[in-house]
Amino acid sequence: MKHLKPINKKATLVEQAVDGGRIEEVVAMQTVVGCAATLDPGWEVDPFGSVAALCAPMEADLYGCSDPCWWPAQVPDTINTYPDWNAKAPSAQNDWRVLQSVFPKK
Amino acid sequence: MKKLLCGLAAVAFLAAGPAVAKDYLVAGVKPNKLVVIDPAARKVDKLIEIPGPGIAPGTIVPAPDGKVAYVVTNRLESISGLDLTTGKEVFRADFATPNVRTKAMFAVDVSPDGKELFVMQSPVKLGLGEYEVQDTQIAVYNTADGVGAKPVRVLKAPRRLVLFAFAKDGKSLWALGWDLYQIDPKTGAILQTHKVLNWERPNFNPPDILDVWPQFEQAGVFSTPYFASRSDLPPTDPSAFKTGILTLDLANGKVDMKDFEDTSVVIFSSVVNPARKTEVFSVYSQLSKIDAEKGELVKRIDLPHTYYAINVSADGKELYVGGTMCDIGVHASETLDRLATIEIPGCPDQGVASLRIAKR
Repeated sequence: MKHLKPINKKATLVEQAVDGGRIEEVVAMQTVVGCAATLDPGWEVDPFGSVAALCAPMEADLYGCSDPCWWPAQVPDTINTYPDWNAKAPSAQNDWRVLQSVFPKK
Repeated sequence: MKKLLCGLAAVAFLAAGPAVAKDYLVAGVKPNKLVVIDPAARKVDKLIEIPGPGIAPGTIVPAPDGKVAYVVTNRLESISGLDLTTGKEVFRADFATPNVRTKAMFAVDVSPDGKELFVMQSPVKLGLGEYEVQDTQIAVYNTADGVGAKPVRVLKAPRRLVLFAFAKDGKSLWALGWDLYQIDPKTGAILQTHKVLNWERPNFNPPDILDVWPQFEQAGVFSTPYFASRSDLPPTDPSAFKTGILTLDLANGKVDMKDFEDTSVVIFSSVVNPARKTEVFSVYSQLSKIDAEKGELVKRIDLPHTYYAINVSADGKELYVGGTMCDIGVHASETLDRLATIEIPGCPDQGVASLRIAKR
């Protein structure tokens, strides 16, 4: 932790837990309470630093990655917040025009 | 003459006796449907609507008798058991309670006697201004409890378990997470741990596995690809990155991990040939044939598009690739040649749903 400086309350608590030897109490969240917990930037580069080894075509991967919230930054969270985002688009390849942006509900 | 007639009658009886179980593929598609496919006829046998809310079916587990398939649905908050002949829902467990949201991400399996269903769950307590992550658990359901089933046991479980595979004798449940655990299905006690992410292999960094597709029912051998990098070689050296296959024999618990190539393609999941158990096939944008015993890549072909899931016929002669889009590719296991493409009517995506074999 010596190279990281906490900038909010939660990070400070994490640092205190580490310093106090209580790291086991800090439990990583899984992808169950909202997609942002996955921390995957989405539409990443492949292991070879390129894009040729990503899913082909991208539409083949769209739902496989968005349904379990693998791409939280780019597609709506369909397991909790926007469950019907792709309800009328069963085929990503054929129905992509139906997929729309979403906005937080007030 | 009487003897001859008796003999003929016996032959006729044997011929008409118990039919050899036939393979059916079970896949999941949007919105919220199971697909039963007759791979020998190269056609879709039935589309079954999963009752209730939800769009993307998740993990699919066929019952040992092949009559029912269990599928994760309702945005990972329920599991439904569907009769594959009538399409009727014969089992359902909804996980949520008013203050706790519970999701089943991937790991599910049914005991070999078909009586108990094991579901990996991640519960979260919903507060007024905060979420409180609860310990992960394995909920055990009696399949005979039907629609509205409640867990008969809840077992403690390590976090991040994504694949379950019952031992053949039903006495233990294997679970893959960061490591491979053998779990007592009665108590949840961890009987043994095979280190995977925590391996102590000299000159290697921790391996990585991204596999959420259970595909062991034909060979009785669980398998998954893994990727690892060497810590003693510069990342510019192609031999610093290795791809291997982990196999677990569900009959005797024997675990092997063996590299087979310097990493050259991405692989998501694999299946073992029931006819030659050292032969493993893997899938993603390429279909690969691997000799897991020798640690060698035997053959590789490019596929028309990416597929996540792969399964195999009972005789080991045909491979089925699925998941992602709306088709199942049929390939010869010997040559890897494409034999047929089975398109699901309406072309709905399979996404991350499993591709399983139900025998009946």
